[in-house]
Amino acid sequence: MFLDPRAILLFGANALLLYLTMLVNSALVGWSIYLLMLGPMLVFPVLYLRHQSYFICTVFSGLWVDAALPSSFGLFTAGFLFAGAFIFQMRIRFRAESNYHLIFLAHGVNFFCILLVTIAMGFAYITSLGFWLQVFVTSLASHLALLIVAPWFFNFERMLFALCRLEPEPEDLPIL
Amino acid sequence: MAKLRLDRIKPLVALGVFLFAWWIIPAVVKSFLKASFSEFQAPAWVGTSYLDDLENFWALRSHSKVELIEAGREVARSKSLYQFNSQRKETLENEIQRLEAILNLPSRREFRYEVARVVRRDLNAWWQQIVIRKGKDFDIPFGAAVVFSGGVVGRVVEVGAFTSRVELITSPNFRMAANFEGDERPVVYQGLPQIGFGDPLGTVGDAPQDVVASTQMPLKLVSTRLGGTFPPGLMVGRVSWLEPGNTGIFQAGEVELDARLLSLHEVAVLIPLDPIDPENDVP
Repeated sequence: MFLDPRAILLFGANALLLYLTMLVNSALVGWSIYLLMLGPMLVFPVLYLRHQSYFICTVFSGLWVDAALPSSFGLFTAGFLFAGAFIFQMRIRFRAESNYHLIFLAHGVNFFCILLVTIAMGFAYITSLGFWLQVFVTSLASHLALLIVAPWFFNFERMLFALCRLEPEPEDLPIL
Repeated sequence: MAKLRLDRIKPLVALGVFLFAWWIIPAVVKSFLKASFSEFQAPAWVGTSYLDDLENFWALRSHSKVELIEAGREVARSKSLYQFNSQRKETLENEIQRLEAILNLPSRREFRYEVARVVRRDLNAWWQQIVIRKGKDFDIPFGAAVVFSGGVVGRVVEVGAFTSRVELITSPNFRMAANFEGDERPVVYQGLPQIGFGDPLGTVGDAPQDVVASTQMPLKLVSTRLGGTFPPGLMVGRVSWLEPGNTGIFQAGEVELDARLLSLHEVAVLIPLDPIDPENDVP
């Protein structure tokens, strides 16, 4: 099959996560808290899908994020593919059946995304203390929220697989 | 073994191909992609905003009749005050027009106000923008000024079919000409990276040396007609301290902005009635 149906489900789940995150951000504006939770979007596609499906799902998720956020278009798409290529090469090392490794990966990718957007969008204010303080608060809040959101999101994706009667196990893992 | 190695470099090859393709793809294709994805997302945000309105409607319906009667009385009082103010404004406008005709002054830019609901707020260290529920469907132009009851909100930076993105004055990318109230000399206002705690801040530069600001008597920074985007006299913020700038010729200082900028629900877009034609109007 050209495209694994799970890729479509995972893209939908990613779009939902982004939508919910932005709803929360919109409500939290008065408290000066912003959540950037892009890490979990990459984990399931990179660990569960064959390369072709992973690539399509990641490109579409990246473009979806790029269109929603005011960063330069293509930044998150390239960032996702970069982080994805890195994880894909060593995905055999991660156990996808429990959430422990997945949460660890989600935090890693999320931190990479924060770093990426900070370099791309905040290079002009790199000497401003206020900028770094807010980046620190955003990172802290995002990673604390991720401790709750990431397990929920991964269980939600597994539930989607079960509901749609799709293969709940990772595919195409290299043979040891 | 060879197959395993190829499998391993497949993601890197795909990444390289994507980056190369992205580099050579024309900007038109990228703009089309961005617009397509944005328009796909817009209905979700517009729908959420309408649901929010519905929620408010049902919340208001739960009020008792006594409360509604009291609110109606308040509205009636405000209405009579506004009617009186409207008559007075009309008289004053006629007077201004008469004086302008006597002095042979050039005509001022006129604006149409398009009130729009805020559907999303994206305020963080990297960008300071809001999304409003009106776009090309209401002829919102790119670069239009956005205001609220407290003064200047920002400028339209992206227009979609049903939504528009507005860059707030708190954003470091926002820059405009302004002047202190009662002083026609122009100064430059620019946003600052926000600390996130406390009221939003901006910065003012190129202020003349003889301008004095203090915490007891802060200066009001207002918009000027220079640039053509904003009508004159709209509140930008208050300046309570000025010090010599980098050059030593002018002064610079921090601008305290309205705290309500962070929790806007409704704004007005100023649409010029006679848009500037760059080919004919610019000398």
